[in-house]
Amino acid sequence: MIAGDDSGQNSFVLLRIGAHRFALSAALVAELAPPVKLHKFPHTSNSVSGVIIRRRRILPVYDAGSLLLGKEGGAQQFYLVARCAGEKKELSAIPVSGECEMATGQVQPADDGHPAYVAGRLVIGEDSVDVLNLEALIASAPAVGAEPIRAEAQP
Amino acid sequence: MSAARERSERPARRGKPEAVILFWVANQMLAIAAESVQEIRSTDGLAGAANEIEQEVVPKVRHILEWGRRTCYVVNAGSHFDLPVTRPTLVLILRRMRIAVLVDRIDRMTEIPAVYPLPQAFAGKERSWYRGLAYIDDSVIPVVEPSGFLSAEEFAALDRAIGPRSPQREMEGAAQA
Repeated sequence: MIAGDDSGQNSFVLLRIGAHRFALSAALVAELAPPVKLHKFPHTSNSVSGVIIRRRRILPVYDAGSLLLGKEGGAQQFYLVARCAGEKKELSAIPVSGECEMATGQVQPADDGHPAYVAGRLVIGEDSVDVLNLEALIASAPAVGAEPIRAEAQP
Repeated sequence: MSAARERSERPARRGKPEAVILFWVANQMLAIAAESVQEIRSTDGLAGAANEIEQEVVPKVRHILEWGRRTCYVVNAGSHFDLPVTRPTLVLILRRMRIAVLVDRIDRMTEIPAVYPLPQAFAGKERSWYRGLAYIDDSVIPVVEPSGFLSAEEFAALDRAIGPRSPQREMEGAAQA
């Protein structure tokens, strides 16, 4: 799946992380990448699990599952490549299941007490899905861990 | 993804090729610019040149090494990168720096087409640990920043801790630049 450059602001990609569905503005999404090797090396950035090579770029992989769902993230096999809307403009990847679909709908304000990474609720028929603010999600993790993260490459 | 497919995905070349030494620390391969390494020695062969120092301010440094006309602080790379404890067998004596680095073993010397910038997502100590990333044999390997093994503050703390035995200061400018 490769999103077109003219994706409207009301178009969203619905993605599944663990057992939960989220929506991400299609304008921010570059592609749904197939399973590729996750390269890991020592670092101290809590929200980052490693890097992947995609379309001749080295992309950081944010561990969105852990950020959103704690340890419940589950096995994700694909990567959604997207651009943060805020200060960090670089393309990044988040692990997702392969079940992604396009959707359009009205965005309603998020419920009271919602986490900062929920930008609103996308209403699709009788369903509603939290709309992710990727930048806020990344910011919700401590940027730098107290202990370095040990790692090995995974196929 | 097949190896051939992944090779075709290698990052777009930027910068210029350079020779690097690939080495292992615990289960991690790292690269260092060959031009920043003056000598590689076995730890066994340095028994008479290394002296244990007692200080706790920089735990990754347990020895100073008197080698030729130089005296260096010996940094345990495993401790520096917080990798599992191993028994280093080699020491990399860095050029123009008061630093020697304990590593497990050398893999090989090779040429890399470029060093790619560390993504902005990496915001911690790794920004001083690494110059960037290299793509070698379908793997992404961090390219270490030689001056990142000891910061200016760590040099100062070590110099204070060991007093008159501190390594010669003529290398200090290069090491702390």
